[in-house]
Amino acid sequence: MIRIENLHKRFGEVRAVDGVSFIAADGQVTGLLGPNGAGKTTTLRMLYTLMRSDEGNIFVDDVDAEADPQGARLRLGVLPDQSGLYPRLTAREHIEYFGELQGITGVDLRNRTDHLLKMLDMTAIAERRVAGFSHGERTKTALARAIVHNPKNVLLDEPTNGLDVMSTRAVREIIRRLKSEGHTVLFSSHVMQEVSALCDTIVVIARGRIVASGTPDDLRTQTGHHNLEDAFVALSGLEASPA
Amino acid sequence: MKAAWTQALVVCRKELKDWSRDRRSIMTVLISSLLAPGIIGVMFMQLASTQRQLDDVKLPVVGAEYAPALIDWLKQQSGVEIVAGPDDPQEAVRSRVEEVVLVIPDDFAADFKASKPAQVRLVSDGSSQRSRPKIQRVRGLLQRYGSEIGSLRLIARGVSPIVASPVQIEDVEVSSAQQRAAMILGFIPLFVMIAAFTGAMGIATDSTAGERERGSIEALLVNPAPRVAIASGKWIAGTATAMLSVLVTGTLLVVLFRYIPLQDLGIRFRLGPSQLVGFLAVVLPLCPLIVAIQMYVATFAKSFKEAQSYLSFLMMAQMVPGMMATMNNTATKAWMYYVPWIGQQTLLTDVLGNKPISPLIFVVVGVVNVAIAVAAVRATAGLLHKEKIIFGR
Repeated sequence: MIRIENLHKRFGEVRAVDGVSFIAADGQVTGLLGPNGAGKTTTLRMLYTLMRSDEGNIFVDDVDAEADPQGARLRLGVLPDQSGLYPRLTAREHIEYFGELQGITGVDLRNRTDHLLKMLDMTAIAERRVAGFSHGERTKTALARAIVHNPKNVLLDEPTNGLDVMSTRAVREIIRRLKSEGHTVLFSSHVMQEVSALCDTIVVIARGRIVASGTPDDLRTQTGHHNLEDAFVALSGLEASPA
Repeated sequence: MKAAWTQALVVCRKELKDWSRDRRSIMTVLISSLLAPGIIGVMFMQLASTQRQLDDVKLPVVGAEYAPALIDWLKQQSGVEIVAGPDDPQEAVRSRVEEVVLVIPDDFAADFKASKPAQVRLVSDGSSQRSRPKIQRVRGLLQRYGSEIGSLRLIARGVSPIVASPVQIEDVEVSSAQQRAAMILGFIPLFVMIAAFTGAMGIATDSTAGERERGSIEALLVNPAPRVAIASGKWIAGTATAMLSVLVTGTLLVVLFRYIPLQDLGIRFRLGPSQLVGFLAVVLPLCPLIVAIQMYVATFAKSFKEAQSYLSFLMMAQMVPGMMATMNNTATKAWMYYVPWIGQQTLLTDVLGNKPISPLIFVVVGVVNVAIAVAAVRATAGLLHKEKIIFGR
């Protein structure tokens, strides 16, 4: 479970995150929805402890992430905004490297890696160096290494950004699977369909503030729009006068 | 604590694996390791060949028939070969066909018999730097012949030849082959430092600026490994490659010196296995320091290119003390041993010069190096906490 309370972060004069609070519950998929520059990535960066907040509290399974970042990271699997790979290592080596850093070794590591490779349909490319990988193959490798330690809470920053249909399907499949296994999944996106197809709860963020949250149905009722996309546009204030 | 160590080793292993697959960094290490033995070998070969030229004098003589005794004496001297002189000696020397020509006039025998100063002419071009040693040698031979004959004449008249030598000159040549050889040997520490530096560079840049450029640093730092463990792992890996580079250079130098005829140059210098041990004891503790400083500097860089330009400045900076020591031949002062870089240079010169060194100095220098290195690694780990470093691209 992830709990964020009144989170603030400013860069100079810009209030990137301005009082964000929400809860992502166990066994649920929570979508952080917002246009580019709304503060999604900054919120996630504070959540996965690489950025310090100016104000507010973050709890990962009741571990205070600001006070004990190491403890929080133990409970997190993260696909960050920048998910660069090491061109000279193979897909399997990427997964194993992160597994070892998490303290997984031997047969355990091998089984876990094989399981992920199979689940992400990567067995054929497992022993290839990632230098020649397509965008989809890279994302799958980055995703696999992020969840090699079977973390309770999974954070994904725009996981399907720029992926083709098949890769997008594979990622969605993983998200559903994680949910069914009882994980907390929090992912960010600026694509309406993506969020509505997967999420139990949607948190709409714009200009560093939460403008709405709830189930997709809640959002429709709140805004009076039957179409979720219209609801999103209305909520994020992208249009001066909503129709 | 134990977990952090394991994590550091995991990072170290990954960096070494990654490095061993990087053809560019392997080539850099190979080339820089070959640099020292290559350049030193060529320099010695040149020195040996000029030395040989100096020893072997081919002397063209015009009018050899007028002074058979002198010619016989010259032929008996080692390395002297008498050949027939050109028709026009002055023209031959002016046009640099010959460096020096000995001309014996036809009245030589008559003057010689009458115990009058018998004239010989030495045709040479004083403006030619190259032929100067040869002219010196020929002039010296003729003077020696003259004084030997003079001594004999004095003895024949019942006078001790010593009376005729009120002043005795002993030549002390400072620009001799030995001195030049010593200067070439003085370059060895410098080359070894370069080998350590370039050997360290691959991992020091790839694992810092490289992680930033590729955007892999975020994912790496999200792991529950402490930053110090991550920085230490990279540091250990870089140290290993720097040491490898030094080992290769050292071994190649030892092999090279088996084939250089140093004795022929009159140099008492040995670079055998025992010197190699002393040499490694000096340079290897420097490797962790070089890597740590390179890593700290490279972490500020957003890309390989940026890191490489920072490091080339660093390399020039580290070469300055060595250059100054080589050029100026400054006397060694006690404090010099304890300053990184300068200390290694001084110690290496001592080791190669077979000077006795107290083992304590080795230990102190090593400890100083590693202490500074650890501080630099901690500082690098500190940088990995900074949002500007993690996210600044």
